[in-house]
Amino acid sequence: MSASAPESRLTLEQTLDWGELAPLRLTARSAADGVYAGGHRSQRRGAGVEFGGHRAYVPGDDLRFIDRHALMRHGRLMVRQFETETDRALRLVVDASASMGFRSAGAPGAKLAYAAVVAAALTRIAISNGDPVALDWIGGDAREPLPALGGREAFERVVAALETVRPGGDLGLDTAAAERAFAGVARHARRGSVVVLLSDLIDLPEHTLDRFAALASLGRTLIAVRVLDPLEASFALEGPVRLYASEGSFRVETDASLVRQGYLARLAAIASEWRQRLAESGGVLIDAVTSEAPVSTVREVVLGARGGQP
Amino acid sequence: MSFAVGLALAVAAFVVVPFVAHLLRRSRADEREFPPAHLVPVVEPVARQRSRLEDRALFGVRAAMILALAVLGATPLVRCSRLSIARQSGGSVALAIVVDDSLSMRSQTPSGKSRFDLARGGARELLAAAREGDAVAVILAGAPARVALSATTDLGAARRVIAELEVTDRPTDLAAAVQLGRSAVKPLPHVDRKVVLLSDFAGAPVPNGEPAVWAPMAELRNAMDDCAVVSAVSHGRRVSATVACSSAQAARGRSLDLAVSTQAATAPDAGAPLAKTGEVVASAKLDPRAGEQTVSLEPSTLGAGLDAQLSGKDSIAEDDRAPVAPEAQGLGVAVISDVATSSATTGGATVVEQALEALALDVGVKPLPTLPDDAKELERFAALVLDDPGGLAPEARAALGEWLERGGVALGLLGPRAESVQLGTTLEPFVSGALSWGTTKSGGVDPKSIAWLGAPGSSLSSLAPRGRVRLESALAPGATVLARWDDGEPFMVEKRVGRGLTLTVSLPSAPDHSDLALRPGFLALLEHVIEQSERRAGPRRSVAGTPWAFPAGSRVEIDGPRGPLARETASGAETERAFVPSRVGRYRVRVEGTTEQRIVTLDSAEITTAPHEPDQHDERVVTSGVDNQVDASSEVALALLALLALELALRATRRLAPRRKRRRADRPSALAS
Repeated sequence: MSASAPESRLTLEQTLDWGELAPLRLTARSAADGVYAGGHRSQRRGAGVEFGGHRAYVPGDDLRFIDRHALMRHGRLMVRQFETETDRALRLVVDASASMGFRSAGAPGAKLAYAAVVAAALTRIAISNGDPVALDWIGGDAREPLPALGGREAFERVVAALETVRPGGDLGLDTAAAERAFAGVARHARRGSVVVLLSDLIDLPEHTLDRFAALASLGRTLIAVRVLDPLEASFALEGPVRLYASEGSFRVETDASLVRQGYLARLAAIASEWRQRLAESGGVLIDAVTSEAPVSTVREVVLGARGGQP
Repeated sequence: MSFAVGLALAVAAFVVVPFVAHLLRRSRADEREFPPAHLVPVVEPVARQRSRLEDRALFGVRAAMILALAVLGATPLVRCSRLSIARQSGGSVALAIVVDDSLSMRSQTPSGKSRFDLARGGARELLAAAREGDAVAVILAGAPARVALSATTDLGAARRVIAELEVTDRPTDLAAAVQLGRSAVKPLPHVDRKVVLLSDFAGAPVPNGEPAVWAPMAELRNAMDDCAVVSAVSHGRRVSATVACSSAQAARGRSLDLAVSTQAATAPDAGAPLAKTGEVVASAKLDPRAGEQTVSLEPSTLGAGLDAQLSGKDSIAEDDRAPVAPEAQGLGVAVISDVATSSATTGGATVVEQALEALALDVGVKPLPTLPDDAKELERFAALVLDDPGGLAPEARAALGEWLERGGVALGLLGPRAESVQLGTTLEPFVSGALSWGTTKSGGVDPKSIAWLGAPGSSLSSLAPRGRVRLESALAPGATVLARWDDGEPFMVEKRVGRGLTLTVSLPSAPDHSDLALRPGFLALLEHVIEQSERRAGPRRSVAGTPWAFPAGSRVEIDGPRGPLARETASGAETERAFVPSRVGRYRVRVEGTTEQRIVTLDSAEITTAPHEPDQHDERVVTSGVDNQVDASSEVALALLALLALELALRATRRLAPRRKRRRADRPSALAS
């Protein structure tokens, strides 16, 4: 009994702080129901009959669809897209590293809990549309990814996986964690799949953005949802503070009042970089704060997946 | 709680409270988790910025200023453990430092140093506090008291003398040392004169006089537990040893052993078994009590080459061993006095004999009916007292002269018979020529002229003489007047004859003629005679510090426990050489090819007389710490001014530098970095 005490404490510490976001099934259903989820014509752009617009060329695109007229007129490599009737697999990549387990005093739940609600809601929507859903992890307790599955059973499996995940792992040390997740996506996501990354984009290894942007080939749609805690989003601290990162041993002592603007500028710079880079690949970045209702985030993701700006 | 303690606590609070407040203000902020911590720019918190160098320095300077102010205010209350010279008017000081170098100063103190080391350290501290213009004299209080350094303004010479001082086995002579100290500073022009006595006060009381004696260093006067072998004398096959203990505790569980000396001068007799060097040949337990005790032992070998030693350890290790002297041949004093006229009305021995016995010196008093005609009969005597002699026959004068030439000391107490000497007899060598006895109006001896005799000498100022011998007209050539009547007539005359000495007094001892024999000065006078005879006769056993006198022209070599006795002290007379053995032990003396052995012992009073605190109500001695007050107000005030200047400079620097720093910190680029 006494020997297992530390282990129990460790488990409790690592348990996801759901806060007001649990139970996941109900919250996810509520979020999904708030979004119009009717049958859709395939939003997949790629090889097909009906012209669907242009987008910038990314390495790996089929050279047959390069629009030479646009090249000659504008001097830019553009790819012609076509609408086609097909299923659109949903690939969820959830960041479950230690930083995602953070929940400030005023937040309804941990960032990972919020991401789980969004992911579950998206799963419900996708399955209701007959699209398969796959789940990959960055960090976390090293659980196995879920392959693309459809049907009610798939929803249960995804929800079960999301419910039991525990935040953990230091992406600063495990620099290949993101690459492993994206490699699985690149290998298994079929043309036209929607890849949704749910992460706080903090402590991600270098080149993560490049690797993620590279998934835009084969007509995949990339959506990155940056989930932030209200404290991270606003930095509502005052006076001298001593902060330590969730991952690694980094510590900083500073005066919050003096550095708030600098911090927010750095945060915005990261968002801007992701947004710009994803836009080049036809993707979008969605900012989400855990204090906001998950349904709005889900709605933005759905809109983003349909090609509209969130 | 005294006022000083309360003041000190208040000052401590003044310093500590701001410091604690300062620490609280700059305490570290609480740590909290923040995943994007690496995005947060590093900026030193304002409170921490303020607690940087300039604040710390200012804090230190201001705290030092508060302390300096407190010290400045408390200067009258400050006492320093270092000895220092208090200056009454801020001027130069004439200082006589009396250092006790007697045996008792060898005692170990709880600090691990001997009393003498502490006293010498105190003398050094006093010299360190001396300024240019101060005159310093160094007096040694080991008997006989002596001047190690006459009053001088050369402080370097004083330091050298203090550095060269060594503790001895001499008895203590505080009274004479203090008088020497007073007389050393008296003729100096300094208004402020001081006599500092660095002693354990294991001796006679300090005499009256000015200036009062300052006796600091109370740690010198702590009691000690010590036993010492005072003397050991062989009597036939027995050895009788005298042991003195300061307390019963010191004697408890200890024994006296006789061991074969490493410096054995004589070989054991043929009949006795041989013993190895250091081997204990007899032993006896000590009686656990304070004071003197005599222990009798019968060794298996002769005592001449033996040492008496105490087992165990005590405060003074050096006095636990003493050589066994051969059978004592006490100093003989011959007394020629008329029992009919020179005795007390109750009868008994003559007053001279009684006085000599009262001195309790180690001398054998022998009354003689007449002065022997043969010098050989006088050989066994070191001193001779002639009381109211009626004239000396030529044969007796010749024998006396021969005896004097060899070192005898004769005291002539001249009385009415000196006026009517028989035909063919004279009083030479005491006086030359006819003498007269007559009444006098003089009341006694001029105290100033007999001050050399010490405090008892003053008692001779009231003698109520019914008559006296007029010496003025009959002074022998080369005679010196040692003391005079209060009307200027000679009272006592000294004349050196060869190695010997004659002392002539113009009064007899008979109580019918004067109160001379009733005065303490009479005992002191006889003691002076014995001392002079000891110096000349060279007793085989003497107390450390007793001078040995030899004719100036003689060749003398003395080997002591520490090698040749190098220190040669010039005595008062040009015709003598005096050696002063200051250490206990066995000495080998060679005079003109003749070798003799002498034993130097210690004075038991050094052990049995406990150190004592001087009477606090005695105005002759100042023991309080008033005089070691340190007036450092001027130095503290200077330090305070320096601190003030430093504080102003720091504030000026702070006013310029932090502004620049803050401007830099306010820039967005600074945050972005």
